[in-house]
Amino acid sequence: MNRRMFLAAAAAGVTNLGAQRPSEIPDAIRNLRPMTAGVQPITDEERRARLDKARRLMREHKIGAIVLEPGSSMFYYTGTRWPPGGRTFALAIPASGEPAWIVPEADQQRAQQAVRMSADIRTWTESDGPYKRLVQVLKDRGAGSTIGIEERVRFAVFDGLRKESPATGFVSADPVTVGCRVIKSPAEIALMQHANDVTIACYKAVFATLREGMTNRDVSEYIDAAYRALGYQGNALVIFGKYTAFPHGSVQPQQLRQGDMVLVDDGCNVEGYQSDITRTTVFGKATPRQTEIWNLERKAQDAALAAAKPGATCESVDAAARKVITDAGFGPGYKVPGLPHRTGHGIGLDGHEWTYLVRGNKTRLEPGMCFSDEPTIAIYGEFGVRLEDCMYITENGARMFTRQSIAIDQPFG
Amino acid sequence: MQQTTEVTAATYKDRIARLQAAMKEFGLQAVVLEPGQAMLYLTGVRWGRSERTFAVVLPAKGEPVWVLPGFEEARARELIHVGDDIRIWQEDESPYERIAQGLKDRGVGAGAAPARVGIDDGLRFFIFDGIRKLAPRVDYTSAAAVLKQAGVEAVQPPSRQ
Repeated sequence: MNRRMFLAAAAAGVTNLGAQRPSEIPDAIRNLRPMTAGVQPITDEERRARLDKARRLMREHKIGAIVLEPGSSMFYYTGTRWPPGGRTFALAIPASGEPAWIVPEADQQRAQQAVRMSADIRTWTESDGPYKRLVQVLKDRGAGSTIGIEERVRFAVFDGLRKESPATGFVSADPVTVGCRVIKSPAEIALMQHANDVTIACYKAVFATLREGMTNRDVSEYIDAAYRALGYQGNALVIFGKYTAFPHGSVQPQQLRQGDMVLVDDGCNVEGYQSDITRTTVFGKATPRQTEIWNLERKAQDAALAAAKPGATCESVDAAARKVITDAGFGPGYKVPGLPHRTGHGIGLDGHEWTYLVRGNKTRLEPGMCFSDEPTIAIYGEFGVRLEDCMYITENGARMFTRQSIAIDQPFG
Repeated sequence: MQQTTEVTAATYKDRIARLQAAMKEFGLQAVVLEPGQAMLYLTGVRWGRSERTFAVVLPAKGEPVWVLPGFEEARARELIHVGDDIRIWQEDESPYERIAQGLKDRGVGAGAAPARVGIDDGLRFFIFDGIRKLAPRVDYTSAAAVLKQAGVEAVQPPSRQ
């Protein structure tokens, strides 16, 4: 699971509260040492290889060029970051020739500094608009009649483009962007490893400070503060008690009591690469029921890990975890009490990205793919347990980035 | 256009009625929205965007159709105060089928008039692409003008055009 997008959209005060009450952050968190040493950013050479692969995939799929707005795919190919949602700032990557940038005149200076991997920058003015420029680039590169649109491009940009070039067919760029991004290089896996290590360090420090009467928002503040001390930005969804049964929690206020389940989920990013880890434990002494369900959850997580071999289908990994839970009398399918969602998602520059461990996905696992392994057991009215570690596929099977939880009272391996 | 908790379901119904009047003027049979400014103003629903499609179909005639992930239903129902036609999709199902069916059920393409549907300017391409594949005979057009007429203040547009 991943809460970041919910928090971002809500623009809630949660992440700001820490700054307002810094004195309450325990020393054990404030004194965490930065973990910023030894991080190797993606090189331009690697980005050039990504562009080459994109060109090859475009030719294979008979796509003449792909068009991107700011976001994770643009960053993937170029290293360029630009705030989304504003004036059209686009990148065209053609099947032949150099990429080109379409930037607004109003932001020209800033854009000149931001763009990378190509010096072909076309500035658009308010009188002409961006789409004439974009269509001109496509013509200059001989892109032809089929253009791929990156998945998160806004409808308005697609609409402007098709009005300017009505004879062109616009298709999903997924075969190109997903085709590249779904397989991670050793450099990418190293960055994800680092992000996972940071998140575990953060969680360990914060879990040690849990005390009766804390609110889940207090714990979120501690998480934010721990990430800051470690030198990164990150946050977490924190859920107590019966609300742990809801995969994305509840808006209801929650105070920590003896015997409550505690679920903490999410991560941080290192050079754009995401971690996403969930730990569920109990505050105080676990009941036999809590322990039994926790152990079942661990068994389900293990089953997905064991099934995630190269060549296996994505859906078979979901089925393996789900079977453990269904065999114990839960479900079936997505029915609660049981596992109400897929077993896992791809992860990389986005917390959730292609491809997914879900029924119906017959994509076969390949070395370099990365997934979360997180088969929640949700029992409405009681509690939920989710253990989430991310794994990467190797020639010899799946490997976790992190040590799995050992027991309900030992969340860190 | 401030959003406060005092805004009631009746207010949202009025706003949607105003949109429906505008849709008739613009010759649109429905508008499809993702979470964002327009959804918030017209329905009061604030929802974070993710890869899991969460959308509302606002037809020129009839009740809204909500399309959302199955496991989010309980959380979503707490927030939805306008319309109770909530169509969930499970993880291995297509949200676009639910949206296309919603359009059909609200009469899009049923009459003599050409089927025209307005799309939120901020709606992401993959959702549009999913819908158009299942309902290819519909003319999809920007909903910017009709939303503006209904009182939705636009966020900064991708370009002036």
